[in-house]
Amino acid sequence: MSLGVSPQGSTGGDPDGGSRRPLPPAKKKLSATERFVPALISITMVLLVFGIVAVTVTSAEQWPRIARQFFDLGAMAASFPQVLRGFWLNIQIWVICLFGIMALGLVLALFRALSGPWFAPLRVFTVVYIDIFRGLPVLLLVLIFGFGIPALNLPGLPNSALFWGATAMVISYAAYSAEIYRSGIEAVHDGQWAAAKALGLGQWQTMRYAILPQAVRNVIPVLLNLAVALQKDVALLSVIGVRDAVREAQIYTAQTFNYSSLIAAALLFLLATIPMARLTDYIARKDRQRRLQGVL
Amino acid sequence: MSGTMTPSRTALLVALLVPLATGAAQAQENTPDDPRLFTPGKLTVATSDPVFPPWMMDNDPSNGEGFESALVYALAEEMGFDREDVVWVRETFDQAIAPGAKNYDFGIQQISVTEERSQIATFSDPYYLPEKAVVAMPGSPVSEARTFEDLRDVRWGVMLGTTDLDYVAEIIGVDDAAVYNDQVGLFQALQGNQIDAVATELATALYLTAVQVPDAEIAAILPHDENDYGHGLIFEQGNELVEWVNEAIATLQSEGVIDALVAEYLIADPDLPVITQ
Repeated sequence: MSLGVSPQGSTGGDPDGGSRRPLPPAKKKLSATERFVPALISITMVLLVFGIVAVTVTSAEQWPRIARQFFDLGAMAASFPQVLRGFWLNIQIWVICLFGIMALGLVLALFRALSGPWFAPLRVFTVVYIDIFRGLPVLLLVLIFGFGIPALNLPGLPNSALFWGATAMVISYAAYSAEIYRSGIEAVHDGQWAAAKALGLGQWQTMRYAILPQAVRNVIPVLLNLAVALQKDVALLSVIGVRDAVREAQIYTAQTFNYSSLIAAALLFLLATIPMARLTDYIARKDRQRRLQGVL
Repeated sequence: MSGTMTPSRTALLVALLVPLATGAAQAQENTPDDPRLFTPGKLTVATSDPVFPPWMMDNDPSNGEGFESALVYALAEEMGFDREDVVWVRETFDQAIAPGAKNYDFGIQQISVTEERSQIATFSDPYYLPEKAVVAMPGSPVSEARTFEDLRDVRWGVMLGTTDLDYVAEIIGVDDAAVYNDQVGLFQALQGNQIDAVATELATALYLTAVQVPDAEIAAILPHDENDYGHGLIFEQGNELVEWVNEAIATLQSEGVIDALVAEYLIADPDLPVITQ
């Protein structure tokens, strides 16, 4: 200890006294072989694997019939207008439900995060809510809400299947999003609470100004993932008579026994979800960079 | 021994055996031992699960009661099978129309034969030409309907996989009918006032209004759709048994067996209003 070196080692007795960080290692220059051979191997392997799959599938005895029944371009084109009309309904339901889910989930998470004996009923309500609605299959909820509630013929309530089906989606997914928000809230360091309290902020103010902004930023990639999942699950509303893309495709299939309409619907869903998945990746990467900058 | 067999003896044996074998196969065709059957010796028939009256009774195809169950046993008898040789398997509508090998000889579940469907599956000749009916709750706007015009402005519901949707769209002119997975969903929506009217086959409507939803009533009978050839048995595409079965259907028709079954199970109240325009 007489040497005066701190436990961190070099940081205490910095020899060059100025910059405290070591320089990043210089980038190694790759030779042409080092650059191209791995790329070549990747391309060859991809072609080989997918080629074997394609050959195996198309050499099946039943393939010509499968091709005609599933990949008939004429049937896809014939069913496309009605499938697209249904898909537009999917998108509308998705956007509306998404707002409902994000809002309701946040409210539930806030209820659960509140401390103090006065808020015990809210916390209990939230725990029960999440246990119940996260534990039930969405399909079950859609059937119960979509057929059950209208059958009560309650005065003043709408009896549209679309309305109640969407309500079921919101109620179910809000339970998941509440848990996501909660994990975001819990990921905010305790020091932030202490600091906010030290500044004289109350419980609500701490939550509103100190915790929530950080918590929400933490969980945006996960919420986007939930949004992608929801986009596909909207198709569950078809069971209560809503004519979404999947139902329109099924109608065409039932009329003609040709499944190509389902492939057309599948392509539409991919067209919508793949860009969202890429966006999620991008945001997650940005988020990671932001955090690492804070550390480095 | 086989080691000592000379080529000429083998050729002689083959020459003797081949006609025998093919002759035997030909003799077996169109008999209960037909090798083209899914299980030779048995007639394997698929139907939906559950099955509904008046097509089949008590969700049991093998009791011979109900129009389609009785028809299958009449067909089996005509084709030379014993009652015990009829084997039932259950499948959904989606399985019935899915491509690939089938685990039965033919399916029966009120599948309507149409031009488009015939390009994917093989159908027998139609065994029954159904009438359509409008089912509604009492006091519904369709109760007093007497023309297609009266039927156009109400909320319609139909079942997926039936030709009822085409019927409602093309004959009545309604293109936003709600489409449900099954009869249960359809009638739940009717009772929940989510739809005003259901289009379905008359026989189904009779059972529904008598048993499933006694509150509902048949509001009217609708004319037959010319594009719907009637109900046929469904075969895996290219199945060669269809000709043999068609002969049996033709015989049952000419002997009046099918008419008798229709009279027993599928007759409506003659006083119901008929809407034709």
